[in-house]
Amino acid sequence: MIELQDALRKKEIWAIGGGKGGIGKSLITGNIGITLARLKKKVLLVDADLGGANLHTTLGIGVPEMTLSDFLNRRVENINDVIIKTVIPNLSLISGAQDFLDAANPNFAQKTRLLRHLETLDADYILLDLGAGTSYNILDFFLFSDHGILVVLPEPTAIENAYRFIKSAFYRRFKKVVADQQIKDLIDAAMDQKNTMGIRTPFDLIERIKGMDREVGDILELEVNKFRPKLVVNQVRTKNDVQIGFSMKSACQKYFGINLEYLGYVEYDDCVWQSIRSKRPLVVEYPYSRPARCIERIVHNLLRKEQMTLSMLY
Amino acid sequence: MLKKIEDMNHYELLEVSPRATAQEIHKAYERIRKIYDPNSIALYSLFSPEETEIIRQRIEDAYRTLIYDENRRAYDLSLRSLPDALPPDHPRQRTFATPLPPSPRTEPVRTPEPHHQDPRPVPHAPETAAAQEPLRSAPADITEFTGPMLKMLREQRGLSVQNIADITKMSTRYIESIESENYQKLPARPYLRGFLVIYTKAVGYEPDRIVTDYMRRFDAARNPAKK
Repeated sequence: MIELQDALRKKEIWAIGGGKGGIGKSLITGNIGITLARLKKKVLLVDADLGGANLHTTLGIGVPEMTLSDFLNRRVENINDVIIKTVIPNLSLISGAQDFLDAANPNFAQKTRLLRHLETLDADYILLDLGAGTSYNILDFFLFSDHGILVVLPEPTAIENAYRFIKSAFYRRFKKVVADQQIKDLIDAAMDQKNTMGIRTPFDLIERIKGMDREVGDILELEVNKFRPKLVVNQVRTKNDVQIGFSMKSACQKYFGINLEYLGYVEYDDCVWQSIRSKRPLVVEYPYSRPARCIERIVHNLLRKEQMTLSMLY
Repeated sequence: MLKKIEDMNHYELLEVSPRATAQEIHKAYERIRKIYDPNSIALYSLFSPEETEIIRQRIEDAYRTLIYDENRRAYDLSLRSLPDALPPDHPRQRTFATPLPPSPRTEPVRTPEPHHQDPRPVPHAPETAAAQEPLRSAPADITEFTGPMLKMLREQRGLSVQNIADITKMSTRYIESIESENYQKLPARPYLRGFLVIYTKAVGYEPDRIVTDYMRRFDAARNPAKK
């Protein structure tokens, strides 16, 4: 199904986020990682969920000795020292912070140091498993990566958080692009949904900024086009659930003006739950299950830079 | 290109290309209408109920404009006069018959069934556009519905064979065979019956009498009574 020669020998960093907790970010990250590793890619998984790391558990690894917090707090200098080899060939892991209360909030210097070191590593794919929420740390990892993947469940709560996440990431990116303090303040104010300036949508914001500074407005408009998060719908039970991905794509286009790419969905199945309980990865324990097939399809789309098309539904 | 919903043209709103066929537009409309349903969870927290209602209204407008050939042509012309013009004239491969106003001399016999799940007014699907117009009962002054008679009825309504083929998705070959009573070229009896029903509906008549009549002639021709 997936051909090896399609791969590009260039390192790519993917971040998997989604706003809400418990929607399968770690599970999807881990299993995408294993699927990629089986395709003979060198994969490094990074548990960037600093407050509640458990990517190692989805891979069936016990609490690791060396974690990201050792690197962030300079107990080790070389990032290679915190990399753990897994039983799966080509797959290694940097586990999330376990001890430090502060580690969940690394400062700017710590973050840039981490990202700088990640770029030097020898790997084809680096997968960042992000935590829940829309804190600046999470957003920065998401924006830093080459591809940001959003996970949602077909439930209002998860969808609400996903939109919140998109909006936050989007406005954070805006803020990084502009230098003018006045415009930065305006973007901050626009984040508040109940702001008094009548800025409801990103369109309103850009229009307002264009009024202040035409050039900056144009730059932001370009940024909108470049921002292309990808979407995975997890725990899909019906055809309507699959459709939600397309619906969100349409709503994002009409509300934010951004192109959400619908990467794929993962079907709901008890075997996922069983694999977590047995602490063995899904695609290892149940390689022929429907969810595992779905993960394969997602990886396929990621490698080919393709997305779901409507014809798959009709 | 960043565009507010208010600035989107009908094609952008329905997410179809300006060259989309009527079928594609209809499909897209069905899809988009579901997305912007007030209960759609994909919109949750993004649009307020009032905004959703406005979008829905715009989608309905867009559909009604694009699905009828004449309206669409006029709309395309108005778009082309705008600065960011559309691609040039699009060849329309497929056409749909525009339902004719009910004939004044006969009363509508049957009204379309009310839409159960959906209390909102639903515009007619193009495939069934003609069928959802109140069907007329078969003209009483015609005693025998032969193939040529069906052809005449069709032509009276200004529909070409191709029109009927587009509406019913029947092959033009069958339509022609029905009209010329070329029984050898027609499919097996039950299929033929089905074809006749959608054919008469597409032409705008109650199928009962016409189909029974035609089938009787068909049977008589295929199995001549033994002496």
